[in-house]
Amino acid sequence: MHTERTIETAAERQNRHKAMEAISVLNALKEDFKSTIQSMGYFYDLFENVYCHHQPLHEGKVKIGTMCIQIPSEIIYALDGVPIRLCNGFYTDDEIGSDLLPQKSCPLVKATVGWFASDNFSDKPDITFSPTTCDQKTKAGAIIGSFGHTVIDVGFPRTKESEESRHYWRESVKSFAVQLSKFQGKKLTRSNLEHAIKKVGYAQSLYHKLTEFRKAKAVPILGADMFLITNAFFFDKIDAWIHAVEKLILELEQRAEDEVHVAGKASPRIVYTGSPPIFPNYKIPLIIEQSDAIIVADETCSSNRMFNDMVAVDEWNLYDMIDSVSDKYLKACTCPIFTQNDDRIRRIIQLVRSYSGDGVIYQAFAGCQVYEMEQRSVLAAMEREGIPILYIESDYSPSQHGQLTTRVEAFIESLKNRKRMKK
Amino acid sequence: MRYFVGIDIGSTAIKISVADENKNLVGHKISASGSMFYKYAQEALGELLRELGIDEKEVVYTVATGYGRKLFKEADENVSEITANAIGAQQAAKGYGAIKTIINIGGQDSKAISLDAGGNVVNFAMNDRCAAGTGKFLDVVAMNLEIGVDELSDYHFKSAGTPLSISSTCAVFAESEIIGLLGNNHSVEDIVSGVHYSIAKRIVKLVKRVGVKENVYFDGGPALNDGLVSAIENELGHKIFVPEYPQITTSYGAAVLACDAFLSESES
Repeated sequence: MHTERTIETAAERQNRHKAMEAISVLNALKEDFKSTIQSMGYFYDLFENVYCHHQPLHEGKVKIGTMCIQIPSEIIYALDGVPIRLCNGFYTDDEIGSDLLPQKSCPLVKATVGWFASDNFSDKPDITFSPTTCDQKTKAGAIIGSFGHTVIDVGFPRTKESEESRHYWRESVKSFAVQLSKFQGKKLTRSNLEHAIKKVGYAQSLYHKLTEFRKAKAVPILGADMFLITNAFFFDKIDAWIHAVEKLILELEQRAEDEVHVAGKASPRIVYTGSPPIFPNYKIPLIIEQSDAIIVADETCSSNRMFNDMVAVDEWNLYDMIDSVSDKYLKACTCPIFTQNDDRIRRIIQLVRSYSGDGVIYQAFAGCQVYEMEQRSVLAAMEREGIPILYIESDYSPSQHGQLTTRVEAFIESLKNRKRMKK
Repeated sequence: MRYFVGIDIGSTAIKISVADENKNLVGHKISASGSMFYKYAQEALGELLRELGIDEKEVVYTVATGYGRKLFKEADENVSEITANAIGAQQAAKGYGAIKTIINIGGQDSKAISLDAGGNVVNFAMNDRCAAGTGKFLDVVAMNLEIGVDELSDYHFKSAGTPLSISSTCAVFAESEIIGLLGNNHSVEDIVSGVHYSIAKRIVKLVKRVGVKENVYFDGGPALNDGLVSAIENELGHKIFVPEYPQITTSYGAAVLACDAFLSESES
């Protein structure tokens, strides 16, 4: 007898596709490696609840969508909003966005646009701020606006050395603060901004503690797990995130004492840079760590760049604080959209030195022009420094797994040989 | 009485249909292809005719189709399984409505066929390599899970968690993936629904190559699996029609062609 069948709606299908993508990555994190960390359970459950069960986290709160790292979360928290970073890693949404954007667009942008086109959110942003960073993000903001979402552009300069840029950006941030303050019907004050800066600063300090563990010879945490933790900061309740990371640090302290190493004895130590791995697009990080290497540090905007630099306040008065917040998002930023970007190269070299990296893996999304273009100068700089580097271009599709694995494995084996020769 | 036989010799099974002059299906038989296609086909035909009480002489025209069609030398004619499938689908779905798209999953291949309003084949696509995501694949999956192929559907509808995707629909690689999932204590139900969705995604890609037009007809042995049918409907976003005997559509089409061929010959 045939069962009575009902057909999924488009939204249900999208949810199921995303759940299937999410669960396979979470299962890989939980099951493919030795020595799992108990307190990672919080993050695995968080991602499963949000992406497999589509559970909202911020009911009753005003959600402020951000299209890039540059929208200051300090100001959003100060004004009682919840920042939701909308950079998206789902292939499901990438496929939806592909129908709306040129074929060669960046998968992250396509996924974000596809997400808005489907209008299927567990925590839907009430308003979205779009900094004019790269070309594709800039245009994506307008496209998303055309779907009927409220999107406000925030002007961002493409050079960072000049005083004019600094001034321009500080004005942009002020006008962002004014608009958000109107939207929220709440005033930005010395005390609420100071409180928010300190809270975000504290979260950053926890991240710094986590990264310290990765400097040791025995690395107690996977790079892929680290990406998951920083990725959670995109949308999690900040207090819950802080609490979970505090607990994790306690466990890692014990693991460090016991010299628990999540990789093998000969596993090369990798510094990861390039287009951001955003859940569930952990394709390359997982391939690296499944191929007997360990990611010890990264230079990406979904992780290190989000936490590395703190707001440096001189005087705790409102305008000084706003300026200091602005500077953090411009001066310290190593995004490849800038004309000159020696800072990024210096950061990568510094990470290799301080985390005893054996090599660098540079991933660029096919279609992410600025990362593709900056590959040249980074590769040349690494060659000068004698640091081995592998450049990989990939997208969100699951199809190239075999070829990518072979390339990554060959690179990792060459690093192992190099290490042996040195001894 | 005059009867018409369509015989479809596939990689996994031999399907035989017998039609009368009004193109109605009067009987059918499915038996395993085994190692000797020709011998088994002859035997099965003999058995079917005996069961139906039809004398061999009453069979006036036979059309063979399927991969093994050229091996059946007694046939008056042979046609490709694409043509036969198209004809059979229209005939079998007569009460349902005009069929514009056919999905066929066989033992070791899968196809999508697009038809025009007159029922003529305008385009088709076939899977380009191996037995990935076909009936054979479902056999291997069921064997690994230690359940029967006919139980897959029940397990599918009992799946309460997120379907676990199988990244490879290659029967050989999928085997090790499934063993890995079982080793990590994932539920058989979620693995089964994940397998169905992996196949469904693949077949829907194939269908999109020829274009999805309603009504959509699904045949071949795997169409007996309601869980897979539901997965394909969900991926497609359309309802699909599954005939009463999904395995014999192509042989029925061959029998209908036999009838047409005979009538046009006797007219001329």
